[in-house]
Amino acid sequence: MSPAGCSHVNGYKVDNWKQNLRVIYQCFVWSGTAETRRRKAKSCICHMCGAHLNRLHSCLYCVFFGCFTKKHIHEHAKNKRHNLAIDLLYGGIYCFVCQDYIYDKDMEQIAKEEQRKAWKLQGTAFLASHLTFFVSTGIGEKYTTWEPTKRELELLRHNPKRRKITTNCTIGLRGLINLGNTCFMNCIVQALTHTPLLRDFFLSDRHKCEMQSNSCLVCEMSQLFQEFYSGHRSPHIPFRLLHLVWTHARHLAGYEQQDAHEFLIAALDVLHRHYDNGKKANNPNHCNCIIDQIFTGGLQSDVTCQVCHGVSTTIDPFWDISLDLPGSSTPFWPLSPGGDGSTVNGESHLSGSTTLTDCLRRFTRPEHLGSSAKIKCGGCHSYQESTKQLTMKKLPIVACFHLKRFEHSAKLRRKITTYVSFPLELDMTPFMASSKESRMNGQYQQTVDVLNNDNKYSLFAVVNHQGTLESGHYTSFIRQHKDQWFKCDDAIITKASIKDVLDSEGYLLFYHKQFLEYE
Amino acid sequence: MSKDSQMRAAINQKLIEMGERERLKEVLRAKLVECGWKDQLKAHCKDVIREKGLEHVTVEDLVTEVTPKGRALVPDSVKKELLQRIRAFLAQHATL
Repeated sequence: MSPAGCSHVNGYKVDNWKQNLRVIYQCFVWSGTAETRRRKAKSCICHMCGAHLNRLHSCLYCVFFGCFTKKHIHEHAKNKRHNLAIDLLYGGIYCFVCQDYIYDKDMEQIAKEEQRKAWKLQGTAFLASHLTFFVSTGIGEKYTTWEPTKRELELLRHNPKRRKITTNCTIGLRGLINLGNTCFMNCIVQALTHTPLLRDFFLSDRHKCEMQSNSCLVCEMSQLFQEFYSGHRSPHIPFRLLHLVWTHARHLAGYEQQDAHEFLIAALDVLHRHYDNGKKANNPNHCNCIIDQIFTGGLQSDVTCQVCHGVSTTIDPFWDISLDLPGSSTPFWPLSPGGDGSTVNGESHLSGSTTLTDCLRRFTRPEHLGSSAKIKCGGCHSYQESTKQLTMKKLPIVACFHLKRFEHSAKLRRKITTYVSFPLELDMTPFMASSKESRMNGQYQQTVDVLNNDNKYSLFAVVNHQGTLESGHYTSFIRQHKDQWFKCDDAIITKASIKDVLDSEGYLLFYHKQFLEYE
Repeated sequence: MSKDSQMRAAINQKLIEMGERERLKEVLRAKLVECGWKDQLKAHCKDVIREKGLEHVTVEDLVTEVTPKGRALVPDSVKKELLQRIRAFLAQHATL
C-alpha cells in the first residue's frame, strides 16, 4: 500500500484513459447532473446478483458492476484478467494483484477534480445542516477547505504586506476624534468594533450591499472595521459615520451631547434595517441579519391572575436590558447579599453596595400590579388583580445591560451615581424562564449546574459617563485578547487594569457568551 | 429478487435520481461529526493500524474491524432522524 501507486496501473494508462476515467467518475461515482443521476440510479446494480448495496465496484476495463462484499467483482477480475476496479461509493481504485486500494497520483488528481465539479453542481441545492453563524446569510455551500480563487491569488500577489497577530499586538485599537460632543458615538463604536462576532462578520466581507445610494450604514460599518484593523495608529475621523447617523436617526442630529444608550439602539436599528435594504419589511419577525443573530434576545412576560392563577405569557424581542438603580424614584427593595445569584457570580459586596445581579434579581422579581391596574383575565372573564414577572426566554449572544442613571421624571432630572459592582463573568441561569419554572415546581435549591455552559457570559466592554446630566463625557473600556483592557477616551487609548474597569461606575455593560454552539 | 429487495432497489433509485441521497449523506455526515462518532471511529482505526502495522494493513483489514463497531456506535437519535427524513421524502414522492 505504497503512496506511489502500483505498477499494475501502467497497463491501464493507455490511449484515452484519462477521459474514460473521468466519464466513470461523472456518471457512476459523483453524479452532478440530473441526467447522470438518473443513469446512475438505473444502472448501478450488480451484474451478477442485482443488489445495489454490498460496496458496488465497477471494472475499469469493461462495463461490469459487481458486489465487493459478495466477491462478484473479484470473480470477474479473475476470469477476465481485469485487474482494476473502482469503488462506486468513494471513488477509490482497487488493484486485484496488490489486493488493496492503490493511490496513483494522476488518478487521484482526476478524482479530486471530478468530485469538486459534482459538488459545485449540487452546491446550490444543499442547505448545509452544519451551518455556522456566518454562512447562514449566504447560499448553501458544501463545506470544503479554503483554496484561493484566481482573483484572490492575484490580490495576494499585489499586496505582499503581511501582518502577524501576536498576543501583545494592538491591532484593532484606534482612537476616534471627537467631532463636537460626539464621545457618545465614539464609545459605542469602540464597543461594536470589539464585539468578536461582529468583527469576524465584517472582516470576512459578509455584507453584500444592495443599496443604490451611498447611505448604507452597514457599508460604513464595514469601512470602519477596515480602518480599525488597518494598523494605522493615528486616530480615525468618523465624519461619514456621523453624517449617516444624522441622516437616518434625526433625533440624534445636532452638536449637543446625546445619550450613548440611545445611540446604541438607534445604530442597531438602522443596521438592522439597512441589512437587507428593506426587504425584510414584509417579515420583521423572521429577520436573520447579523444584528439579530448577535444582539436579539427574548424577554418573557408572565401575568398571573391572583384569582384563578391562570398565566398569560408573551415573549418580546430585546436588544438590551434597562435596569433600575437604587436611589431612583422607583422603589428598589434592598436585597440581602448572599442570596440566590450573587454567590454564583462572585461579585464583591463592598459594605452593602449594589451588584449587577441585585439589579437583575429586581428586574426578574414578581411584581404585584395593584388594584388600580387590574388586567382582564381570560380565565375568569373579568378584571382581576395580578402579578407580573419578567424572565429571559432566549439569551442573545451579546447581552447589553443599561444602568438607568439618567432620571427624567416630572419632578427632577438628575444623574444617579450610585456605585454598582459588576462581575467579569456572569451566569444568567437564575434569571432564565426555565429556572423560574423549576423554582415554581418546588425545586427551590437551584444547585448550580457547572456543566451547563450555555448561560455564561464574559465582560468585554464598559461605557462610562463622567459628569452631570448637563455636561458630561463618555469613555469606554474594551477588552482586547483574553485579559488585556484598554481605556478609550476619544482619540486617546491607554492600557487599563482589570481593577480600573471593575471600579468604574458603569453605564452600559457589554457581555459576550462564553460558549457558542452551532444552530 | 424478493419483493423486499425490489422495494429497496426502487426506493434507492428514487433517492439517487432526485439527488436526495446525496443530501441525506450530507446530513448524516454532519450529525456523525457533531455527536463525536467520527472521532471515536478515527481513534479505533488508529488502534487497528497500530496493531496490524502500518506497512501491512490493508483497507480490507480496516473495513472488517471497523464496520461492526461503526454500525453499533451510531446514536439512536441519528438513526431516527434519518428514518424520518426518508419517510418524509417518500411521502412527498408517493408515486412509487
